[in-house]
This record gives sequence, C-alpha cells and structure tokens, in this order.
Amino acid sequence: MNFDLVSPTTTEDLLRAIDEHRGRRFRFGAGYTDLLLDLEEQQDNELTVINLARLNDPSFTSIVHDGGEMRIGALVTASRIIADRKLQSRYPVLCQAAGQHGSRQIRHTATVGGNLCTASPAGDMACALVALRARCDILPARGDARSLAVSDFFLGVRETDLKEDEVLRRVIIPTDDGEVKTHSDFIKIGKRRSMECAVVSIAYHIESDGDDTMTRAGIAIGSVAPTIKYARSACEYLVGKRLSSLGPSERDEFAAKVVEYASPISDIRASAWYREDVLFNMSKSILENH
Amino acid sequence: MSHDNSSRSGGFGHRLTIAFTINGRGVTREIRPALRLIDLIRDDLGLKGTKPGCLEGECGACTVLVDGDAVNSCLYLAANIDGKSVTTIEGLSAGVDGPGLDPVQRAVVEHGAVQCGFCTSGMIMAIESFKRQCDTDGVVPNRERIKKSLEGNLCRCTGYKKIIDAVQSLFEQVQGADGAS
Ligand SMILES: Cc1cc2nc3c(=O)[nH]c(=O)nc-3n(C[C@H](O)[C@H](O)[C@H](O)COP(=O)(O)OP(=O)(O)OC[C@H]3O[C@@H](n4cnc5c(N)ncnc54)[C@H](O)[C@@H]3O)c2cc1C
Ligand code: FES
Ligand code: FES
Repeated sequence: MNFDLVSPTTTEDLLRAIDEHRGRRFRFGAGYTDLLLDLEEQQDNELTVINLARLNDPSFTSIVHDGGEMRIGALVTASRIIADRKLQSRYPVLCQAAGQHGSRQIRHTATVGGNLCTASPAGDMACALVALRARCDILPARGDARSLAVSDFFLGVRETDLKEDEVLRRVIIPTDDGEVKTHSDFIKIGKRRSMECAVVSIAYHIESDGDDTMTRAGIAIGSVAPTIKYARSACEYLVGKRLSSLGPSERDEFAAKVVEYASPISDIRASAWYREDVLFNMSKSILENH
Repeated sequence: MSHDNSSRSGGFGHRLTIAFTINGRGVTREIRPALRLIDLIRDDLGLKGTKPGCLEGECGACTVLVDGDAVNSCLYLAANIDGKSVTTIEGLSAGVDGPGLDPVQRAVVEHGAVQCGFCTSGMIMAIESFKRQCDTDGVVPNRERIKKSLEGNLCRCTGYKKIIDAVQSLFEQVQGADGAS
C-alpha cells in the first residue's frame, strides 16, 4: 500500500488541499475502515489521501442539538452516536443502527460520514439517516455549502452525488421539540448475529401523539436495491392512523407498500426471493411489536 | 504531525514525523505516510505481542488501545496516533505496582481462557477497554453484554465460554460476590 498523505487541521486548510489536488487522484480518509481495504492493492505513486482525522473544526467533529435541528459532524464515530443521550431519546433508530455496526473496535473508528460516502446499499447508519429524512451538508472547495436529502445523495452502488471538489461536512436531522412517543428500531438480517453485512435491513422511526395517532413515520430499507430506499408511500399510509388499532389486513397492505421499493438481486448471500419474503415479514412485524 | 504545511503534500517518498506515547513512554518516529499502526508496532517498535490475523478488521487479534479505546491496529493509520497514547499487551504487564499481570490478564489465566494464545493479546486489550468503559459508566454488564463487547474478537480454540467467564469474574470481584458461577 502506498500513498501520500496531507493532514489539514482547519477547514480553511482542508478546502485549500482539495483545491490544490483538483484534477489529480485523491481520496478522503476519515476512520479508514473502508478506505484501507480499498487501497490495499494501491502501489503507484499517484494517490494522495486527504486525512480528515486531524480536523479540529466542531462542525465536522461534534453533535449539536440546536432547537430546530440536530447536527452530526461527518467525523462523529459510531460509538459516539451510541453514547449520545439526546440522540438516544429523540432518534433512537440511529443509535440502534450504530450499535449493530461491526464490532466495538470498528465502532470506535468508523464515522457516520464515511458510512454515507461509501454509499453501500448495506450501510447501517446510512439506512437510519434515510428513515429520519436527514440532509447532507456539503462543502465545496470554493463557493457556498449546499444541502441535499440523504436519499438523493445516493446515486448507485458506491456512487454519491459528491463532486470531485466537495466534502461532506455533517448531516442534519430536522427536529420539532414537542412531546412524542417514539416507536423505532433497526433490524438487520444477516447470516450470523455479529459483524455481518445485511442481507436485508429496515430502519423505522414512528412518532405518535398522546392519542396514539401516528404523526410522523420514516421507513428505510437496505440491501434490497442498488441504494438505500425511503419507502415513501408506506410512510404516508401510516400517518393519521392509530398504531394500536391496525388490523392484519392493514399490516399486510403496509408491508406490500414497503416491498414495492425493493428490487433485490440474488447473490452469494441470499436469493432475491428470500430477500423479498423476509422484507415483507419484517415490515409486518414492526407494526405488531410496539 | 510535523511537516512544513499540513494542508500541502510533502511530495511522494517523503516521510512524516510523529510523536506519541507507547505504553507510557514518549517516542518520536519517522514513518511512511501509508504505514499501518500494526506495522509500526510490530516491525518498527519491535512489540510482537500484537498479532496480525486477518488484516481486515474481522478477527481482533491486532487490537490495541488508542487513548483508552480498543481499535484494530490493522485498519488504523500510524500517522493518526500523532499526539496520542497507545497501549499494547506489553504495556499491561508493566503493572501499576511493578511488573506482574494486570487483573484482566490474571482473570484470563485463572479461568483457563487461553489455548493456542494467538487471539489472547487482542482479546485482553478488547476486555481492558470494555472494563474501563463499564467502570466509567458505573455498569455491571450481564453475559449478553459481555458477548456483544467481544464480537470483534475471534477465537478458534476455546469456544468462548471460559473467556466470557473470565470477563464476568472481573465484575463479580468489584461487587464482592463470591466467585464465578
Ligand atoms: C470488519 C468490518 C465490519 C464492518 N461492519 C459494518 C456494518 O456492520 N455496517 C456498516 O454499515 N458498515 C460496516 N463496515 C464498513 C465501514 O465500517 C463503514 O462504512 C464506515 O462507516 C466507514 O466509515 P470510515 O470513517 O471508516 O470511512 P473511511 O474508510 O475513512 O472512508 C470511506 C469512504 O468515504 C469517503 N469519505 C469519508 N469521509 C468523507 C467525507 N467527510 N466527505 C467525503 N468523503 C468521505 C472516503 O474517501 C472513502 O471513499 C464494516 C467494515 C469492516 C472493516
Ligand atoms: S488482524 Fe486486525 S482485525 Fe484481524
Ligand atoms: S486461544 Fe487459540 S485462537 Fe483463541
């Protein structure tokens, strides 16, 4: 493995480094849990890694709750997400997904930004962020920051909307601070319980008011399409209904809507048929166990 | 990291200077930018207790502590320990009260949780980090939680039961309970 390394500590230096490497081969490195495996065979002398791990800018490194939104820096690790009290109480699905990410060792280094930018259809924190309808805050080397829904950030397998001179700064979850009851989880079906890449995954975040009426529903599915999918019509189907009074036929109808967003393939880990069947049953189950 | 300007590349073939603490001792080293932490530890510092297994983050044999947190040294860039503190298995037996086994090592020995020993140093470092976190959070973990904490460490020999017993005993001692069940 061979590459050159630059380690900016301020955002200003980072943007300058990006600008200087325009037109040359470079990659960003954050927690390196994907990147080092990716670069293993890399031997030539042409690649520079722009090391984000030494950045000192809180907009990249911290979790901030600020009235109308929750801002999570791209460099925040899975273990810091798990430990954050505010996230635990307000958006548990993100902590639940981070808690199933790799191992404790991996969670200590893997970042949320790296999970998004890798754009794997099996990305766990990414799946939870799609369910939460989070937005990406993107910084170009020159000019103004832009923002984009996480679900639009993914263009294909390992392909994002990031331009060559752009870096992901943070993700933002819109928040309203009323009293809500949250029903959420991240369910990952793999071949074993630990250290597993999902065969099918579902992240859901459902909010209900005091009357048990669902006021907000976010459902995202992973590993069943080239990108993580937001199951919009299934979410819309739930809003306005009471979670506790859904009958079996309504649960089936809901699950069928979720499955419409899946276009699974058969591969070494599971058949398309299996993935679709599991997804249907998982979708039903989330309305049963509350 | 000291080279002229941290946002500018030093050119290919250049080396970086990093300063860090290894097992309590401050050191400065010149390294290749792409060097992995495991290679720095084993080849440059000569500390062979940290084991290379899969080199893909799956087995945990290479686990060390960086500022107290367990990480896979095979997936960690050596350049990023600049200014940090690294602890390897060799750093534990230095002991607080002079040379000897530390409590995690002692528990592992007492429970017969070692067979071939290849996974053992990584396993012990993972347990150290978990124990410290539980102590900080004031948590006494149950067996499920202990198993979860070791999901990044594979052992081909023991079948895990004795390892988990060893971890559990560390917390029973804290509570003053009478031995492992
Ligand atoms: C043993 C093991 C187990 C794993 N288990 C899981 C799992 O259970 N679930 C899961 O989802 N993933 C898993 N992964 C994959 C990986 O850990 C995650 O994708 C992780 O979140 C990547 O984050 P990172 O900080 O390590 O990224 P890096 O490896 O540093 O970077 C990943 C990619 O994103 C780019 N990048 C990183 N940050 C930015 C940024 N801010 N702006 C622009 N581009 C950026 C990099 O250039 C690179 O292409 C596992 C990996 C290993 C090795
Ligand atoms: S050698 Fe690092 S995890 Fe296997
Ligand atoms: S004791 Fe042999 S691998 Fe664990």
